[in-house]
Amino acid sequence: MSELSKRDRMWIEVAVHRVDYWLGARVPRARRRQIRDELRTNLTDAAAEVGGEEAVRQLGDLHTLANSYLEVYRGRWDFRAGSWFAFFTYAAIQVLSLVISLAFTAGVLASGGHAAGYSLWSWFGPFSGSASSHSFEVTLGSPALVLMTSLAFVVGSSYRRWMRATRRS
Amino acid sequence: MAENGAHDSQLLKGVLSLALLRLLAERESYGYELVTRLHDLGLADVQDGSVYPALGRLERDGHITARLVASSTGPARKYYRLSPGGYAELARTAQAWNSLVRAIEPIVSKPIPTRPEEAVP
Repeated sequence: MSELSKRDRMWIEVAVHRVDYWLGARVPRARRRQIRDELRTNLTDAAAEVGGEEAVRQLGDLHTLANSYLEVYRGRWDFRAGSWFAFFTYAAIQVLSLVISLAFTAGVLASGGHAAGYSLWSWFGPFSGSASSHSFEVTLGSPALVLMTSLAFVVGSSYRRWMRATRRS
Repeated sequence: MAENGAHDSQLLKGVLSLALLRLLAERESYGYELVTRLHDLGLADVQDGSVYPALGRLERDGHITARLVASSTGPARKYYRLSPGGYAELARTAQAWNSLVRAIEPIVSKPIPTRPEEAVP
């Protein structure tokens, strides 16, 4: 076997880290390290015979490879999906808060500009504030916001597992 | 096999585990070595990227076991061998494969007509 060049090693490392990136937080960390090590070893053996670029090409589509690994090694929790669920839930609530507060303020101003307060679930939130012709306040970091974002994170992290269990039964 | 020597990837995917179990029954191997053994046996279009996750699946299901062996050329290699359950799985899937081939062979070996016969009411 020939000694690998820096270019060959670069091809191998880029491929290994691309696959690892797609595995992301969906595969337990220890398992990801094992996958990286084994893939690197196999690519090193292949590159010694056919070169780094060809060795990576022989792997086929790296995204498909990562998905195949995911089918085998997916962990109980998909923290990446959970993070996206939480992010979109947080963003949706913020946008809704803004729309409600703007509509509320417009209503207060249209009715003569008397000071007024509003709340959906009292102190729990997520929508509460006050508006008058001179000032406007809104509470965004409410317990409800934290709770719903956390709930979205849990649902997003586990729904694939739940779906698989449902399909099996 | 197609005329150009290529194999149907879906058919290959279905029998890849069987082929890997059969090769590992002969001797302990690591990932890339199994790829080259498959290529040498005429399955040149089997991609490396389909073999490595298949090995992971067989290991997860308990059909093969693995051990790390230091390599003089680079990082330690992961060698696979059949577990006792793997031998049983190999026997089962080989029997299923042979049974399928016996059933399909008479159908596909008949000459292909140019057009289907019309049904008689």
